[in-house]
This record gives sequence, structure tokens and C-alpha cells, in this order.
Amino acid sequence: MADGMTRVTYDYVTRTIARTLGNPGRGYFLLLGAAVALLAIGIVTLLFLLRYGLGLAGYSHPVYWAVFITCFVFWVGIAHSGTLISAILFLFRSGWRTAVYRTAEAMTVFAVMTAGLFPLIHIGRQWYFYWLIPYPNERGLWPNFKSPLIWDEFAIGTYFTVSTVFLIMGLIPDIAAVRDLATGWRKKLYTLCSVGWRGTNEEWRHYTRGYLYLAALATPLVLSVHSVVSWDFAMAIVPGWHATIFAPYFVAGAIYSGCAMVITLLVPIRKLFQLEELITVKHFENLSKLCLLTGSIVGYAYVCEYFIAWFSGNPTERAAFWYRAFGPYWWATWTMLICNAFLPLLLWVKKIRTNLTALFVISIFVNIGMWFERYVIIVVSLAGEPHTPWTNAVYNPTWADWGIMAGSFGWFFMWFLLFVKNFPAVSIAEVKEVLAPPKRVAAKGGAHA
Amino acid sequence: MTDGPNSIDRRRFLKVLGVTGAGAAAISACGIGPEPTEKLIPYLIPPEDQIPGTATYYASTCRECAAGCGIHVRVREGRAVKIEGNPESPINSGRLCARGQAAPQGVYNPDRVTGPMVRNTAGGFDSITWDDAISRVQGKLTAARGHGIVFLTGADASSFGDLVDDWMRQVGGRRVSYEAFGFDALRAGNRLAFGTAAVPSYDFANAKYVLSFGADFLDTWLSPVSFQNGFSRAHAFDGSRDGSMAKFVFVGPRMSLTGMNADEWVAALPGTEGVLALAMAQVIVSRRLAAVPTDAGRLAALLADHTPAKVAAITGLDEKLIVRLATEFAAAKGGLAVAGGMAAQYANGADIVAAVNILNYVAGAVGKLVKFGPDLAVGETGTFSDFARLTADMAGGRVALLFVHGTNPAHSLPGAFTQGLAKVGYKVSFASFMDETAAAADLILPDLHPLEQWNDSRPRAGIYALQQPTMQPVFPETRQSGDVVLKIMGRPGTYRDHLQGRWRELQRRFGAGKSFEQFWMDALQHGGVYGDAPARPVRLAEGASRIAPAPAAPTGGDQTVVVFPHPVLHDGRGANKPWLQELPDPVSKIAWHGWVEVHPETAKRWDLATGDFLLLKSAFGAVKAPVWITASVRPDVLAVPTGHGHAAYGRYAKDRSFNAFELLGADANAYGGRTFAVGATATKTGEHRKIVTTEGSARERGEGSVETLTLARAKSLGAADHPFHHEETPEYAKESVEWWGERQFEQAELGNYAGEQPRWGLAVDLSKCTGCSACVTACYAENNLATVGEELMMRGREMSWLRLERYWLTDAEGHPQGAVNSPMMCQQCGNAPCEPVCPVYAAYHTPDGLNGQVYNRCVGTRYCSNNCPYKVRYFNWYNYAERGGEWEAWPEPLSMLLNPDVTVRERGVMEKCTFCVQRIRGAQNKARLEDRNVRDGEIVPACAQSCPSEAIVFGDLHDRNSEVYKLAGNPRGYHVLAGLNTKPAVTYLARVVSNG
Repeated sequence: MADGMTRVTYDYVTRTIARTLGNPGRGYFLLLGAAVALLAIGIVTLLFLLRYGLGLAGYSHPVYWAVFITCFVFWVGIAHSGTLISAILFLFRSGWRTAVYRTAEAMTVFAVMTAGLFPLIHIGRQWYFYWLIPYPNERGLWPNFKSPLIWDEFAIGTYFTVSTVFLIMGLIPDIAAVRDLATGWRKKLYTLCSVGWRGTNEEWRHYTRGYLYLAALATPLVLSVHSVVSWDFAMAIVPGWHATIFAPYFVAGAIYSGCAMVITLLVPIRKLFQLEELITVKHFENLSKLCLLTGSIVGYAYVCEYFIAWFSGNPTERAAFWYRAFGPYWWATWTMLICNAFLPLLLWVKKIRTNLTALFVISIFVNIGMWFERYVIIVVSLAGEPHTPWTNAVYNPTWADWGIMAGSFGWFFMWFLLFVKNFPAVSIAEVKEVLAPPKRVAAKGGAHA
Repeated sequence: MTDGPNSIDRRRFLKVLGVTGAGAAAISACGIGPEPTEKLIPYLIPPEDQIPGTATYYASTCRECAAGCGIHVRVREGRAVKIEGNPESPINSGRLCARGQAAPQGVYNPDRVTGPMVRNTAGGFDSITWDDAISRVQGKLTAARGHGIVFLTGADASSFGDLVDDWMRQVGGRRVSYEAFGFDALRAGNRLAFGTAAVPSYDFANAKYVLSFGADFLDTWLSPVSFQNGFSRAHAFDGSRDGSMAKFVFVGPRMSLTGMNADEWVAALPGTEGVLALAMAQVIVSRRLAAVPTDAGRLAALLADHTPAKVAAITGLDEKLIVRLATEFAAAKGGLAVAGGMAAQYANGADIVAAVNILNYVAGAVGKLVKFGPDLAVGETGTFSDFARLTADMAGGRVALLFVHGTNPAHSLPGAFTQGLAKVGYKVSFASFMDETAAAADLILPDLHPLEQWNDSRPRAGIYALQQPTMQPVFPETRQSGDVVLKIMGRPGTYRDHLQGRWRELQRRFGAGKSFEQFWMDALQHGGVYGDAPARPVRLAEGASRIAPAPAAPTGGDQTVVVFPHPVLHDGRGANKPWLQELPDPVSKIAWHGWVEVHPETAKRWDLATGDFLLLKSAFGAVKAPVWITASVRPDVLAVPTGHGHAAYGRYAKDRSFNAFELLGADANAYGGRTFAVGATATKTGEHRKIVTTEGSARERGEGSVETLTLARAKSLGAADHPFHHEETPEYAKESVEWWGERQFEQAELGNYAGEQPRWGLAVDLSKCTGCSACVTACYAENNLATVGEELMMRGREMSWLRLERYWLTDAEGHPQGAVNSPMMCQQCGNAPCEPVCPVYAAYHTPDGLNGQVYNRCVGTRYCSNNCPYKVRYFNWYNYAERGGEWEAWPEPLSMLLNPDVTVRERGVMEKCTFCVQRIRGAQNKARLEDRNVRDGEIVPACAQSCPSEAIVFGDLHDRNSEVYKLAGNPRGYHVLAGLNTKPAVTYLARVVSNG
């Protein structure tokens, strides 16, 4: 600590991060309580849906997919930046990722867990959800592998497995570090979770190889999972869905929303856990640059959609996009356009990029905008179905839609809050990797604590 | 029994059963999961005439209106489940309307009166025994003798009516009959013109030109099914027929279902229909356009008064238009003009009818297309003035005992009749339902439903239709009114004996050489005896030259309001049947509620939006009605349907919407009828209501949904022309698409519809379809479609597998000139977008080319519906079959009408039109048992069976001799959204527009 140049030493990192695992204060319990309360709302709503039927939600012919699928895509999208930051940036050797990747990765796992619930809630006969799963059965029936919904299942399942394994694996050295500082039940928990990690050279050698391997495995998933999700729509013939642009468009949107969500989560965590030294403005600036990049791709995709609709000369395509922009749901479309395509342009300004309050506000707007993007694609395309002029959509979400959506936020934040209080939210080992190694000062005791 | 671990002994079996049973019970108690399996209990002593799983058909007669269509009632396991037209009946030729289809919802209605009841001191009703009830009536009869005894019936031309006449003569009373929409003007007009009050039959089928002055002959006028069948024969485009397609012109202030099928809509000022007809007659006579009968010379003065120039000013029409219409009418050499509906309900209605009669007379239609002799029975019923006299008698306390059967005047005459009822000494109702009149009665003696009883009717001179019980009464404590009357009269025997006694007379005329038993059985099997009545020539009456059809402006307000009968609820009698309530009105597409039609210009002037309430106040009463803005009504006219606004009449009808009858007066007008056009003031109340409409938004972009052709173009088409043929595959992709298709066929053992299997298909001729919606209700009846109610319909949850899309046709100025109606059901695509997206194969392709939907396999992802470009898939958002559930569609005993051949779908599954696959499989099984192939025309889906205009044809597209194959290759044929390469099995034949 005597070093005047920087307070951030190996020891500081360990202690700072271990401190985040200390006894929680009132604020933490308030937040956790709020999350559990939201979850309770969702559970009660779900019980109602199970008892009475999906009719409680706002569905209206021909809008047969709505808020639940919107939330599904939203949460899958959120999940994407985690793997991008932890795996792709790892392979690209971007040092700055070390401080933020753990949070992003945890967010990924919990977001996939949240997303995975929606297809189960949204189907008409939830109690037969297992018919969607390919397993040998006495009926000799397999699911239809031609259906994009089955592809979805594989994509999401793979993604959840790989990202969970990746998260847990990355945690092992850190848990071992906090294990050594913990007492009581935590000690037991960490001992168990650290699977006997001692930090020997041999262990590190295996660990880093394994980590690299997993990162390589996870990298294509970043691109494939949301591409597959986008094919739920692109494979259908609904004008507004049936477009070849969908896979890259969705992947960019997913990373965009994920980065925004990372910012939304990191700003308060940094403040509450006093991690200012570890997560610096520089990190946020990098994240917002990522936002700027992906946001621009998304904006370009919007332009492409409208241009192609016009350029194709296809009257149904034109009608669908006219309806989108100027039909009864114009407000959703313009919310999406402003939040996703225009507002983030502010990030070109360095002053804004480095102002955490501004960043936090913008990230929330991007989250809202990205939710509306899915709402517009799903609900508005179905409502404005131009093949059949005799469709008469009167779709409006009801309490059941909002209840399940609130529950999903509760579910996500509950897991997230439990995670950051019980496991190191910033990677101890990897942050140390990018620090300058401690100088061997010939003093008493040294600085290798 | 071995004791090995795998053996199941009784104890273990019971244990497993108990545990899983408890688990299942716990789950299903929460309402989650599949319904527990119900026990099937076999007959202890099986009835001899019933084979479980096999339907029995009984011939009978429909009593939902006075037309008297012959029906076949399909009975399964002792319960009537479906009604279809009787092909032998000369009235309806095997066809039926929506109201007839909905009759089972009357017999199983959950709001039926289940037994005799007497009013108690508290104002409620107490159940009593039949003996008690009959002795009460007998007691009252003795007391009331000489103080006024009246038996009020509906239009009842039957042996029951004759029995009542007998009885009333015996007790010194009188019988009065009442129909809310009577045909007094028609009868008075015929008397004026021809000196006879008979209602002739009209030969639409042989007309070359049809001109309707307000007569809604396709929906409510006289005998709609019969007329629609005839009309579609005349009006449909048939390339092989000389001069095909009789032009149809509709004159009236609003476009009704009939009006929207016209090729031209002449929106004359209300009440001027008569002078218009005279002006046309004048043109025909003065220009010698037809062989005018010599006695028409008497009309010279009258006609001279009605030159087109003079009439143009009165009617608000162009003089040239009048001359053109007259010329076309005469030149067609087979023009038929009919007057009725709205035109017969003005104060000058009788003169209008007489004027139209004159037009028919001078053009030579009388005797050829207008046939006196085979007269319609409605001509024999009482008149409104008789009824008005009864109302006056009642108000004056001159009626001591009133019987009411088969009519509900307390609803259609809400003021006068109800007030009069209060002064009647004792009121006895024979109503099956607690309608407004029954609710005011002192004693209710519930009748059987027509499907449960013996009776007959004489819909047309020469035709004697029989009605037989098709099942045991649903409620054992209800009794046939004929039996009750006989009992009260103290006569021996049952009503059936009485009926047979009367049919013995018919046996002498029709059953020569047959024993009575033989004659009776024959008549029962065929639904009656169908004879011909000789035509009777008529000549112009003395007074024909003195008619005065000039309109008189209605008084009481600055706004003309016309009250018209609802096409399916009619005068309100259909309002207690959810099928009819949920059926969108064919014109407005509004369901479950009434409306007032306002022209867009008027709406703009008054700053109204659809759903805003208008307070309409006439001299007689006031109603509040939500606005429906439409160009199908004149700007200076407001139009309101009847049917709603019941104060009683069961859960589906009560307290729903408004009662348009409240606007009308109760007095008979000059010709003895009731006036249905009133002057009123209209004020915006500021209230607003969402009204359920299934109409799509005004977006005009759905191209390819309906196609039209001008008559000239349609005539010029050769057999090889295909103006709507879409080249679905671009040239460069042809080879690869074909290659792909071949591989598909090779690989797919199932779904190979190119092979030996049939390919089921439909052809729908839009030139025939009138939009009457009989097919929709037939589909509800056949396929156990749930009704969801107004609230869910507002949220787009209706389950109608078959919907009628109504697109207005407009002239050059944008004014609507009729409409094209397109029945839209599952297109059973050969290359179906719904199938590949289903993750569990619930949507799959059957070998005979159907898009199968396995309800039991469906988990409800709803992806299939999203991917269906026709949007014809419907989802079960709730459990509509849940006993006592909030959305229960079939409350006991309505559930008895469910078709046992069709699954009742569970919550959470998708459903859609199956082409009535149960009928296909039934016919295939039958053919297999008889070791033959299915014959063309043997399979008839419910929609095609019912269609009064025979617009829908079903069959095998692989059979080159089938009717549907020929129609599918018709030059007018097209596929909806053919550009999507879905290869639908439904071919639509373009509507031919004759004014092009």
C-alpha cells in the first residue's frame, strides 16, 4: 500500500473483491426483496394462466405471439454480450474485459434462465411442454426437426450449458481465493465450490488451456444462438419477418442490448461495492463504444428493412412497413427507432461516453428500445398482416402480460443479486493478470500478501 | 398368480391406482392438466332402433320462421344434433338458412321453461302440476265466457291453428294472429292492384332481370331460402347459358343483405319506391317496350301523372336513370319486380306494392313470374289492424282471458301491448321461453319445441309439410300445446290423433290407393306431401287506377329513421341463441349488439365516430344506439335493426343492446299495417361503446382476396383462358423447384397427394354467394364451435372456422354498389405454411391432401397461425367447455347438441376448418363397407350442404369427372394469395359484375 503510484495491487484486488461478499446491508435486502416481490407477482400470474388459460393475456386474432415471445427474445438478446465479452474478447486478448466479464457472464446465464421460461409459459398446454423435447418414447413420436422452434430449443439449450460451464469454470480460482478468507458456512460453500483448487502451476496450466478451449467453443454460439432465434421469424412468411437480414440484424441487436444491460448493471454495482478502482471509466467507455458499433449496425438494419420493403416493389412488404411506421402501433415503432437508432448517437461525444450518469440513462433507454424492437417485430407484424385485409387486430397487453414480464425481471434480478453477494462479481484472478506485477521491494515482509 | 416382483396383485394395483389417482385428482382439482377420463356406461337394455355411433335422420319442418322449409334432423343416440335441408321439399330444395341451422339451440336452450308455472302473490312463479294447471284454465274459461276470450298465435297455418279456431268458436272467443313483421302491405297492395289479398309465389329462378323495391328476399322476406336458391340460379354467371346472369337492381334507402347482392343500388328517397315503379311503368307503356295487356289502358291517367321527369324530382333520381331502368327491365323479357321489406313498411306501403304490381303487370310478369294460385300461407294470417283492435280491447278491459302461443308482442309492441296486458283478467302463455310476454303471464304452460312435437304446416298452397318429434322431450314436464288444448277442451285422444284425423282428408286427395298407414308413413318419410296448386289468372282491379303512392314525410322529427328486421335475429326471436348472436350481421359484420347506420357525410356533420351513441327520439319512444358509419345508407336516413333489447328471454338476450321497436307506433295505418319508418330527432349523447365487428380495418391492400370480372369480360372468356392464373415460380427457378418437388414426393410416404389418393377440394362461386352466412352457423353446428360472447369477440377471440369477408364494390364515384362476399375457411394448402413450423406434428399433411390438425397432439405454440397467410386458424384461449366456467359455451342442456363425431377442443389447442373430415371418413367407411369408391357428391361438408345459393361444391380434385374438378378449371377460377405458392385446395370463382 505504500506504493504511491497506484493503490491497485494484487492484495488490494483480493481484499476489495472479497469485501463485496461481506454481510449485506439494508439496501441489498431491499433490492432483493423488490426482486422477490416481482417474482411473486409473476408466479401468481402464472398460476392464473395455468388455471384459466392464456386468454387472460391480451392475445387477439391474428396476434398469436405477443409480450411473452417479446420478452423471450429480449432476454435471449440480453444474454449475448456476456459471452461476447468473456469469450470473444478473451480470444482477442482485450485486457479491459477482465474487470467486467464476470458480471456480464453471470448476466448471460441468468438471462438465458429467464428466457427459457417464456416458451414454457407461452404455449397453450404448458403441461405437455415435454412433447417439444426429442426423447425416445412409447409413442414413437419425435418432434418436427423442420420447425424453427425445435432449432431454438437446441440453440438455447446449448447456449445455457456452455455459458454456465464457462461461468463456473472461470469462478474456480476466485472461489478458492475467497475461500481462504471466508469463515463459517461460506467457508464450507466455497470449499465445495472451489473443487480443491490450490493454485499450483499444473492446475493453472490445465485451467488456462481449458478456459481457452471453452472460449473457442462459446464464440460461435454468440453468433449462432440469436441467428437461430431470428429464424423463428425469418423462416415464417409473415411480411416483416421473412427477411434474409434477420440473423446478423438480431445478433447485432442482441449484443447491443446486452452491452446496454451490462452498463445498467455495472454502474450501480461499481458504486455500491466501491469498485471504482477496478472498474474504471475506461471500461465504461469501451462498453459504450461497443454499444455504438452494434447500435449503428442495428440502425443500419432498420434502414435496410425499410429500403428493401420499398425497393422490392412488393405491395405486401410495403404495406407491412407502412403499417409499422404509421399504423395504430406507430408509437411502439418510434419508441424503438428513437431509443435504438438516434439516442445512442450521443455516445459519439466523449463527454457523454465518460459520464456514468448519462451512460446509465442511455443504457436504460436502449433496453427499452430493444424491448420495443421485439414488440414491433412480433406484435406489429402480426397485427398488420397484409396478406389478409380482413384481419382486425385489436391487440393490447393485459395485466397477465405485464405480470409475467414483471416476474421475469424479478426472477433475473433475484439470481443476479444472490450471485453478486455470494460470488466474486469481478474476476480476482484475471484482473490481477492485467496488473503490473508487484515489484520485489527489498523491504520487510515484501508486498506479496 | 405368481409372486414375482413384476406381477401385479390386487393390492399393488389398487395402491398404484390410488396414488396416481390422488395425484391426478390433485392436479385436475387445480384445473391443470387433462380432464379425468369419464366413465362410459352402456345401455342396460339397448333401444332397438338405435345403433350407437350411427345417426338416424327424421324428416320434419323448420318452424323458425313462417317459410316452412323441409328439414332432415340428424339424431344421434336419441338426441337431435344437426338440422339440414330436406332435398325433397319444393320450398328449400335441401337448403337451410342460419336461423334454421340454429334451431337446436332452441330445443336445448338453457333458459327454457321446464314445467307449468303459476304466478304467486310475490310476483314470482311457482311450479305446479299439469292437472292443476289445466283445471285452473278450465276454471278461468268458465268465468271468462262472454267477457272476452282471445287466443293469440304467431303466423300459424297449421292444424294447431285450426284446432285453436275450433276451440275459440266453442268457447265464444276469437283467435288473433300476430307477426311483428307482417305482410299487410303486400296483401293490401295486391288487393288494390288485383283485387286479391293472396300472397303469390315469385319465380326468381326464371327471372331475367330482378328489381326489388325494398324486398329483402334473400334474408327476411317471405321465404328467403327458396328465393335465394331461385335467385342464385338466375343471377349466377353461367357461361353456357344464353344471356346468363339476370341483372339485379335494388331500390331502397339502405343496403340490406339483399341490397348488397344487387348489381346496382338505387337509393331513392324513402317512400318514393311506388312513384318510381309507376314512372317505369309509364315508360314501358308510353314507349311500347312490352306487350302491355289491354286493360292497362285504364291506368293512362295514373301513368300520365308519373312521367319520369315528374318522378325524378320526387325520388331524387336522375330522369335518365329511370328511363334506363325501365328500358332494361322491359328489354330483359322476363323482368320480375318485387316490393316488400322496407318499401312495404311506410305509411303508403300498400300503394307502393300496388304500384310495383302495376309495373309487373304492364311488363308481363304477372302470371309468368308472379304466380297467383300457389299462394304463400302468410296471406292467410291475421292483419295488424285485427291485432291493434285486440290491443285496444285489452286496454279497454274487454279481454278477460288471453292465451298467447308462439308470439312475443310484449317485445315488438313494448308500450301498447304491455299496458294492455296489465288490464287483461288472466293471461296464459304457452311459451317455451320466459320471453317478455310470458314474464307478464299468470300461468305458463310450456310447449314442446318444434323438434319435439307433432304438427303440420301449409307454407304454400298445395304443400302440406309434416313435423314429427325427432327425440324425447328435453324437459319431461313440458307438453305439446295441442295436447293441452285438447285436454282443456275435454276431447279424447292426443294431438297426434287429431293431426292424423285431419290428414285423413289429405289421404283422399293425395294418397289414392294407399292405406292411411301407408300414406302417413310415406308423408313422414318425405316430410309431407308436395302437390301443385293450379295457377289462377288475375286482372287489374277496379281501384288500381286510383292508387296514390306519393310519399308522405314521416312526422315527429327531422330525421327519417327506418327500422328493419335483423337478418338473423329477425324480430328478436333469434336473440336467445348464441350462434345467432355471435354470427356477424352479414352487412355490418356487427355481433351481439344493435347499431344505427349513419352515412359518413352525416357522421362528419354531426361529428360522430363508430361506437358513439345517438339518442333517437320519435313520437312514440326513444332508444340509445351506437353508431355504425357506413356508405350503405342514404345520408338523410338513419337505419336501426330490431332483434335486441330484450327485457327477458334468457341469458343470451336479456338486457343486451336496445329495442328498436320502441321507436314505433302501435296503431294500424291507413292500409291496416304497421309503419316502420318514423320521424325522429337524433342527438349525440357523448357516450361511446366498443361494438364488436369482425370487419377488417379499412386497409385496401389485401390484393388477391377477391376478384371480380365484368360481365362482358366473363362472357368473352374461353375454356382455356385463365385471367387469374399466377405464374408462381419464376423462369430461372423452375427447374430446381420441380426437382425439389419430385424429391419431396419420392421421400414422403405420407402427404403424397400426387398419387392414388384423392385430393379433396372446394369450389366457391362468388357470383352465387350472397353472404347470408348460413354456412357459418352450419359450421358451428357441425363442428362444435364454441361461442365466446361479446367480451371475447371484442378481443378477437371468436372461433368461427368459416368467416364471410364482405368487400364493398364501388362505382366510379366511390359509392358502394353491392358487395362481394367471400367465404374464407382453411384452404387446405398443398404446400401449407402451417405444417413445417409445428414442432410436434400437430399440423400435418394427410395422404388425401388435407391439412390435418391433431388436437390431442397440439401443445399450442400457435406458430401455425402466425404462418398462415389466410389467418384461418383459431385458438382455444380458455376452456369453453368447462362446467360452470366463466366462458362456458354449452351450459346444460345446450351441451346435448354437440356432434359426437367431432372432438370438443380443450383449452390451449389450435383448431380450424377440416373440410368436415368426419363426413369424409364417414362416407369413405360406408363406401368401403359397400365395396365401392366414394361417389362424387356423396361427401357434402356442412357449409356446402346448407348454402341456399349452392355456391360451395366439394369433391375430389383428382377425379376428372367430378363437379369440383370442372369448377376448379373454370376460367373464372383463382386461388387466394396464389403468389405465395401455397397451392390451396379451394378455388374461388370470380364474382361477375354485370354493371361493368
